[in-house]
Amino acid sequence: MDTLLNRAAQRAELAEVYHLRCDTIPVVFRAGALESIDTKQLAGAALRVVCDGKLGYATTTDLARPEDLVEAAVSGAAFGESVSLAVPSETPPANADLMSGSLERVTMDDLVDLGERAVSRVTDVAPGTEIGVRVTKTIDRIVIENSAGLRAEEARGGVRLSVELSKASKDDILVLVEEIAARSVADVDLDGLVDRIGRYLGWSERLVPAPSGEMPVVFTTQGAIAPLLPLVFGCSGRLALLGMSPLKDRIGEAAFDSRFSLIDAPTLAAGSSACGFDDEGVRARRTALVSDGVAAGFYYDLRTAELAETESTGNGFKGGLLGGANFRNPPSASISNLAVGPGEGTMDDLIREVGDGLLVDTVLGLGQGNLNSGDFSNNLGVAFRIEGGKVVGRVKNAMIAGNSYALLKDHLIGIAETPRWVLFGRLFTPAMALSGVSVAAK
Amino acid sequence: MEQRIRKAIERSGADYAEVRIERSQRSRVLYQREKLEDLGTANELGGMVRCLKDGGWGVAVFNDLEEMEAKAAEATDAAALVGARASSPVRLASVPSVRIEHRIERDDDVRNVPLREKKELAEAYNRIILGESKSIVASQVQYADAFREITFANSEGSFLVQEVPDITLILAAVASDGAGNIQQAFEPIGSALGFDTVRGKEDEARRAAKRAVAMLDAEPVKAGQYTVILDPRLAGVFIHEAFGHFCEADFLYKNPQLAEIMTLGNEFGTSDLNVVDEGYVPGRRGNTPYDDEGVERKKTFLIRDGRLSGLLHSRETAATMDAEPTGNARAVSYEHAPIVRMTNTYIESGASSFEEMIRDVERGVYAIEAYGGQTEFEQFSFSAAYAYEIVDGEVGGLLRDVILSGNLFETLRSIDRIGNDRELTGGVGGCGKDVQAGLPVTVGSPHIRIRNVTIGGK
Repeated sequence: MDTLLNRAAQRAELAEVYHLRCDTIPVVFRAGALESIDTKQLAGAALRVVCDGKLGYATTTDLARPEDLVEAAVSGAAFGESVSLAVPSETPPANADLMSGSLERVTMDDLVDLGERAVSRVTDVAPGTEIGVRVTKTIDRIVIENSAGLRAEEARGGVRLSVELSKASKDDILVLVEEIAARSVADVDLDGLVDRIGRYLGWSERLVPAPSGEMPVVFTTQGAIAPLLPLVFGCSGRLALLGMSPLKDRIGEAAFDSRFSLIDAPTLAAGSSACGFDDEGVRARRTALVSDGVAAGFYYDLRTAELAETESTGNGFKGGLLGGANFRNPPSASISNLAVGPGEGTMDDLIREVGDGLLVDTVLGLGQGNLNSGDFSNNLGVAFRIEGGKVVGRVKNAMIAGNSYALLKDHLIGIAETPRWVLFGRLFTPAMALSGVSVAAK
Repeated sequence: MEQRIRKAIERSGADYAEVRIERSQRSRVLYQREKLEDLGTANELGGMVRCLKDGGWGVAVFNDLEEMEAKAAEATDAAALVGARASSPVRLASVPSVRIEHRIERDDDVRNVPLREKKELAEAYNRIILGESKSIVASQVQYADAFREITFANSEGSFLVQEVPDITLILAAVASDGAGNIQQAFEPIGSALGFDTVRGKEDEARRAAKRAVAMLDAEPVKAGQYTVILDPRLAGVFIHEAFGHFCEADFLYKNPQLAEIMTLGNEFGTSDLNVVDEGYVPGRRGNTPYDDEGVERKKTFLIRDGRLSGLLHSRETAATMDAEPTGNARAVSYEHAPIVRMTNTYIESGASSFEEMIRDVERGVYAIEAYGGQTEFEQFSFSAAYAYEIVDGEVGGLLRDVILSGNLFETLRSIDRIGNDRELTGGVGGCGKDVQAGLPVTVGSPHIRIRNVTIGGK
């Protein structure tokens, strides 16, 4: 690797090498039984260079031939974008909380055991359903080196458990999906998962007609992804720069309800995107995006920050907006872990307060709708009817729609107290309730 | 290479073993507004061993080919661990062993086109989009190509080398009225051919820009139930997403409740509905001459005359469900084991002209091109890139925010007109299933008309 950086530095005024070694063990159970075990060991490198003020980029898995990678990046730089890229020279400390010591020692058998426990616990509360479980252990070892003198090294690891249950009859198919991202096997909260599944299945025993019109909707922690997703885009410094964010030129303005706060928090070690530094070697930090309803800032990578004449917030990641570790993509402005500030009370309090409306846990078509404008429009996955402050049955064949900016400004009923990690462990949010959400039922 | 693979297979100790080695070269150019956001090349080499031992599957993935033998043994160990606990042992349907070498020879091979030329072409399209109107605030021109060489061998004596080119171009424009109304439009172009696919697309670039601007004045659709006419591109995405995935046998073979719903012969639509998955149509991105288990392609009728007539199979699902393998076991890359996937999937032409289809629609929506889509079992949701209202049998004004959703079974039964104008689309999109996203597929259809579709909105 030293050779790679040295070789590149001889031909470029700036060189940056990103090296990833990724070990993954996915264990899959289907129909309640173990189906397959994979062991994946991938290694690759990305080289970013600036030659005569122009950017070049190339990736490879062929680490034995560094000269080819250098040639590919340097030759591309001949007609690359003119940039002024100031990479950090000071090595940031690794986040020591990311690798639970026990994770390295977690074996295939441990993962199989966790999967079997999940299957058995879920079977107890969900008899007569088809159960699929996937348990994955991942350890990403990242080394970033640049010609300014930085050499940052970090291991990021975790265990992910996802459960999908289905119950199909001629007239109806019910699918429940739950996912937990944790730092190690011991941190996987099966009790919470089983409680939620049991509760949702109980509420699903009766199918009731979906209402139509504008109404209040309670979003579970998982359901809250739907109204929050447009903000992932709206808070991007890149999209603001491109004129594609409604928050552009509104920093300091009370754009949201004063009870709503949103931060990008790579420092929260429980989140799956926690890190000590981003994929450009910029030290990770907490970035306020919305503070007590006031638009507080955007998240930036180095290149976007340069163009916007500001500082990188340590949000240059290679996985894209929703991706994990990846050596192939160039870094771009992406969220790490997003956290919504907690409110008061429980989800059940919100259900009581709403009185009549819907409770939404999953939707289909996340990302559909005009995200740039803040619109979401989704088919209901798992959702329930609320009547008289109680859940009275499951609804289906209906769509919800709204504009996140409008709803989170003037239609916030409340945010619950206790957040949970959802969206593959990248969003830490409590349940929330919004009024005036449009529902179209068949 | 063959000897090295053979040795790894022989020494694996597995009951069945296969090795897949993939060598790929890719390049990408991305313009966003006036910036060249991404310009890069990627060189990749990696492999996968998949072993069956005592009826269980084990898989090992690696980049260092020196480790092939050790990885074969590792996969066998994992397989044995699975086999010891599996409730029913895996069986594989028997297929002929195959020796083929499928090479691509083209004058416009993407590997022979300098990166500079790819960049300059994208830059030219980008300039067209940005120059079209003052309302255009951003553009996205994304060119990507891949040339993969896939070598496959198994313990039954098959040895295949296949070259798979893939080339895509997205021409997208974003328009804004400066007061919070931001609209976008795009034109997707793609094939499994060469660089000529993306040359001469100036009109498409202009079209995307003009439509983004026009969308600023489009009316947001009102939520409700509509008679909807889908254009061939959106209808193709619908049949792939909402119905095609249901026909993938790995979705059914361990789920008796779902398999019951998908029993061959069950009625799904009117008697003129025919749906096909075809493994090879010249130049198409979904092409899979031989799948990632070395099984030759087929043309499979999923629906014939309105009734379910076939499913898509791997060797494993075929053995379990007492069917023939159909050549649909595909992996998105060497990082993954093959699973049952579609290839080129389409609705066959019917009898109606577009005029016959629209003339008795009093109030409806003509929805065009998919912006995205998702299905979960019987529920689906996808968004039209743009749409027109239909008023008294004629195409009216432009509509935006048209997102359709519904129940698959009801919707298939509600298709009451099938056009005579089938088109396949190159597209740029990839299909996602489980953890494997971005698999090249082709979709197609004629125009179709559907009654009582739910459209969301305010």
